[in-house]
Amino acid sequence: MRQAINKVRKIIHVDMDCFYAAVEMRDNPQLRDVPIAVGGNGARSVLCTCNYKAREFGVRSAMPNSRAKALCPDLVIIDGRMSVYQQVSQQIRAIFLRYTDIIEPLSLDEAFLDVTDADFCSGSATLIAKQIRADIFRELGLTASAGIAPNKFLAKIASDENKPNGQCVIPPDQVDNFVAEMPLRKIPGIGPKTGEKLLAAGFETCADIRISSVAKLHTIVGKFANSLYMRSFGIDQRALETERVRKSLAIETTLAQDIDSIEQCRQILSNLFSKLLLRLEKHADRSIVKQTVKIKFADFQQTTVDVQSNSCREDVFIELLQRAMTRADSRKVRLIGLSLGFSNKEPNEAQSQLALF
Amino acid sequence: MKFSLNRELLLKPLLLVSGAVERKSTLPILGNILFDVSGQSLTLTATDLELEMVAYASIDNHAEDGKVTIPARKLLDICKSLPDDSMLSFESDNDVIKISTGRSKYSLSTLPATDFPNIEQWKGDVEFSLLKSELLRLIESTHFSMANQDVRYYLNGMSIETEGKEIRSVATDGHRLAICKISNQALELPSRQVIVPRKGILEIIRLLDPVDESVQVFLGSNHIRIIDTEFSFTSKLVDGRFPDYRRVLPRNGDKILNANKDELRQVLSRASILSNEKFKGVRLNFGSTELKITANNPEQEQAEEVIEINFPYDEVEIGFNVSYVLDVLNAIKETDVKFTLADANSSVVIEGGESGEALYVVMPMRL
Repeated sequence: MRQAINKVRKIIHVDMDCFYAAVEMRDNPQLRDVPIAVGGNGARSVLCTCNYKAREFGVRSAMPNSRAKALCPDLVIIDGRMSVYQQVSQQIRAIFLRYTDIIEPLSLDEAFLDVTDADFCSGSATLIAKQIRADIFRELGLTASAGIAPNKFLAKIASDENKPNGQCVIPPDQVDNFVAEMPLRKIPGIGPKTGEKLLAAGFETCADIRISSVAKLHTIVGKFANSLYMRSFGIDQRALETERVRKSLAIETTLAQDIDSIEQCRQILSNLFSKLLLRLEKHADRSIVKQTVKIKFADFQQTTVDVQSNSCREDVFIELLQRAMTRADSRKVRLIGLSLGFSNKEPNEAQSQLALF
Repeated sequence: MKFSLNRELLLKPLLLVSGAVERKSTLPILGNILFDVSGQSLTLTATDLELEMVAYASIDNHAEDGKVTIPARKLLDICKSLPDDSMLSFESDNDVIKISTGRSKYSLSTLPATDFPNIEQWKGDVEFSLLKSELLRLIESTHFSMANQDVRYYLNGMSIETEGKEIRSVATDGHRLAICKISNQALELPSRQVIVPRKGILEIIRLLDPVDESVQVFLGSNHIRIIDTEFSFTSKLVDGRFPDYRRVLPRNGDKILNANKDELRQVLSRASILSNEKFKGVRLNFGSTELKITANNPEQEQAEEVIEINFPYDEVEIGFNVSYVLDVLNAIKETDVKFTLADANSSVVIEGGESGEALYVVMPMRL
């Protein structure tokens, strides 16, 4: 790991413009001038992403299909081709690798790059970002936006500034001004709920946060207080996580219709369990430490129950399901999920505790 | 509902029941305490649906009977931070309760008492009374061996067994087992075995003072209840089959070591500093005249301790999770301890030098 510690860093956040939809438009020219979205086709599915044409109608990602159709009756909803997107993502990564090998992928269509020590373009991160976007457009026919800043959180915010097909630089000497005026909602980690809470407490911009204290913030946002305080000064010391170790393996399903009997839930659980086992085969080398069941009720409240476990057992999931259902309080079930937590350490075979029975 | 009472008279029962209050429940009412005023007495109830705690207070003056549920955490924090000997007045009005003392006024939102969950009615079929100090000893001698969040859910609790003149507690996490027996000539009990969940056991320890006053214990098919003049504790039982401790007791132990408990505890806790932080393994070499204890960690640092012993047998080397052995030595009250061992792969039995009330089995580690 050769990430810079004590000097000003140059971080680029590259974010593909409506990635899944853009790939579909590239591969199917007849879709280019119509509003399209990629997502499941079920009655209760939500959209993964949509193109800018669709966004003009107010369609957004994560919107339920029914609502999107109401806003934009001509919307074409396409089944996602995950394997194609994965392949394109690999090609994008190959382009990044020409410039740096310190890459933190966030998903198929976003990544952070640390170019602090890159020699290309006489060390200009702005020019490197430009060139990466040009490479992606020339070779893959897709557009990307980029944010360039001294740390991850600012780079991420910057990439959103001139979207689509644009980039934005926040040089070190402008960080202070940029951040002071920034609405808090832009900080990753502050969603609608937290934003509301902060607003209610009189915090609107980072400047408001700066004159407060971590202790005061703690009463509003809990353990996020320290990070929030640092972010309000434009500080983010986090290094890029180039090798992310999978922490869990999960599977979940939103039911076509809400259900309320434990028998129906068990049926769904059994289906999910066999799929989970299939997925687990790829991670056979990891040691399991936890099993979790997640339930989302009809009122969108969710609850999870977990137990320490070193294997993946159906009877344990059923037991957890029963415990979770005691919290149903006569609400119906909307979603059921199962997940396994993995140990972050390699098992140490040198020492092993023998069992009594 | 309208009443007033002294802060001290409220704080004690409030603290007693607060252990049962659920902190992260999706049912908001479980974060509340049920206040039931009837005549000159106040009854407080808290539950997390698995256990229920009831405590009592007498109120100084009484104006109006009633029942209401009040947010537990906030009420407790307010009471704790008021000055000693404050006189608190409570008055409920629709869905708020107003609490006032001197120039302080608080109004908390309440939830209706009719929504407060009741543990279903049940009858105890085994009933006995014993001293608080005895019950506490029974539980404290073994509770640390209970499993925590184990897949084998029946291990996440303590087995309480009655048989004739004897009451036993057994706890095991699969690596170690603890058993304590208390007998009383006055008892004549049927053979029964129940599993009390871990949270309930930890609550009982918090409730009991080591005094020679008696408490009543009731066992039903699905519940256990402990009744005292100040409180009533009820817990659901864990439905499952607890392992039979008789099958776990080793029979092949043929080497006996008697040692001073404090000396052994001191050397083990020192050596444990340099054991692997996760696995806590230490190596015990039993020689004819000395016991050598060694530990090392992944950084290759090493600890070595030697104490003199009398061990007229073949040499034995056994690895242990040092925490398991230290837990046992901390629980034993006598000055001497007795180890009975066989070989490096067999469990060891640890007992106090004299009484034999409690007995511990610890499985070795392969180091």
